[in-house]
Amino acid sequence: MKKVICVLSVLLIVLSCSKRDINESIKEDNPEISLEIPAEFSALNGSVVQNRPTKYGVELGEKLFNEKRFSGNNTISCASCHNPSLAFSDGKQQAVGIYGRVGLRNTPAIQNMAFMKFYNWDGNILQLEKQPLVPIITHEEMNSSILEVIGKIAVDTDYKKLFQKAFGDASITADRIYRSIAQYEYTLISANSKYDRVKRNEGERFTAEEERGYTTFKSKCASCHSTALFTDQSFRNVGFPLNPNSEEVGRGRVTGRIEDQMAFRVPSLRNAMYTAPYGSFGQFPTLRSVLDYFDKGVLAAENLDPILKENGNRIPLSEQEQQDIIAFIETLSDPTFIGR
Amino acid sequence: MKKLTNYLILSAVSLIMISCSKNDNNPVANNISLHFNNTFKNNTIVLGGAESTDATVTTSEKDQAHHLSELKYVVSNIRLVKTDGTEIPYNVNDLDKGATVVNQSKQASLDYVLTNIPVGEYRQLKFGLGVKQEINTLDQVRFPLFYAAAGANDTDMMWQWATGYRFTKIEGFYGGENNAFQVHTGSTLNGEGGKPETYTQGVDAYRDITLDLTTTAVVGSNTPKITIKADFDKLLSGKTKVILTSKNATTPSLHSSMAAMEVFVNNIGGDGKEDKSGMFSVERVENN
Repeated sequence: MKKVICVLSVLLIVLSCSKRDINESIKEDNPEISLEIPAEFSALNGSVVQNRPTKYGVELGEKLFNEKRFSGNNTISCASCHNPSLAFSDGKQQAVGIYGRVGLRNTPAIQNMAFMKFYNWDGNILQLEKQPLVPIITHEEMNSSILEVIGKIAVDTDYKKLFQKAFGDASITADRIYRSIAQYEYTLISANSKYDRVKRNEGERFTAEEERGYTTFKSKCASCHSTALFTDQSFRNVGFPLNPNSEEVGRGRVTGRIEDQMAFRVPSLRNAMYTAPYGSFGQFPTLRSVLDYFDKGVLAAENLDPILKENGNRIPLSEQEQQDIIAFIETLSDPTFIGR
Repeated sequence: MKKLTNYLILSAVSLIMISCSKNDNNPVANNISLHFNNTFKNNTIVLGGAESTDATVTTSEKDQAHHLSELKYVVSNIRLVKTDGTEIPYNVNDLDKGATVVNQSKQASLDYVLTNIPVGEYRQLKFGLGVKQEINTLDQVRFPLFYAAAGANDTDMMWQWATGYRFTKIEGFYGGENNAFQVHTGSTLNGEGGKPETYTQGVDAYRDITLDLTTTAVVGSNTPKITIKADFDKLLSGKTKVILTSKNATTPSLHSSMAAMEVFVNNIGGDGKEDKSGMFSVERVENN
């Protein structure tokens, strides 16, 4: 009996040791990636802590982001609409998915997602991990299903290896797909524009035009496009031309509140030079046309943003001011982020 | 000796017979079938297009004639309450085994058989109109059968953008000019399922329905059939009287927010507080 206990305990020790070794080796081989968090940025979304990017999690996420087999007929990947050379937007008015089907809204840029509290134009998603399923199953986007996707990529040995490296074993699950894509997106941080370098006193200076633009921007734009993210992450009805699609409700679709009818997320202005056209369904081809519209006056609405209401439904902007603001917005371009 | 053998055989045979008949007479569980009778007041609804002459027409309390071309809703989270108060949940956390889409255009979908219900006397039926938040995630991995059924092209009971199921899809025509209307409902909640204190945003369109049975349903050798009436007259003439106009005829939509959707949800599913039955009632219980 004593012998048996001895053998058992030795076995137990060996087992527990080897288990710990495996865990440690996973951590060593697949280290966490430390996100470089710009000083002025808002706090991380709580989900990041639950799903810290790792070396292979991000590598897997990037591969999946570019995976056309996500779509029913293997033609559309996330990157088809979220093009890295356009700050992960697509240059189109409304997103175009499988079989040339046109979606409801303009493809939003993907940048600094780790610091956002809301995703999509209407903020219906609060955790990035919950987003990838939406395009996979949407008729106008990828028109597929998660089991179909898993079935297609499960035959690919490259994926098996990557899932093994990222998660410790080779099983391909829906949750792991969502988590790795989110991990990749968390690493897409843009904070190396001229604006950032000026702010960090790295020797660069605004031109006179940019400086004037910055001053005007602060008085006429920054109540919404605030913080270092250039959005206060609120939802507002700013009286933009209405989407003719009767299904469009704006944030009202999510919250059910009359006050949120046709309200949309204030978009970040970082890299705005790369993300034309503008507006929830690409109403405006250029930044200039947006500013011109604000100057001439927006559509009236009961729930129109109070700042606009108080100013006669417009933001008066002279020709010179418009030019200056655009010069300032150009300083928010981050060429090191583009094409990543 | 031969006689003894005969006796033995006889007693063995009779024992077998007794045990067999005992099984037949005293099962431990049996089925209950639910039948959904979708009506305008007391008339079972016949669906029809804009110009249909067969479709059942009703007139709302606000004097608006209307009829339906499509009528679907999800029933899940079914529970049966015994006369002693014991609640028997029926696969409440498994949409594949415990949820169904009632579709007026598919006769077979109007009957839903609950299998393996413990023998006993039942006085109450509870179910959800829609899918409770905990499992309303379009999770194909967990519930492939219900996902496929709800997502089928001719059923279309999903809100992909909200990664949740459509709870009801009611479409038809109203007024003298037969203008089209459509009422679609579903939840857009964010937060941990089943923990309302964690809900940060969104509309809860799920409604828990409680119905007293008109007669005790006795499950034994019987397989009771419960006919549930869903009176869609309540859509426009429920607690809130609704007049359809071009502004609210498509819900949710540009003109008619989810706030308007909640009016419809409360009319047909109750407010979840005082009104726990909405448009539903038990028409009859047959203990066959």
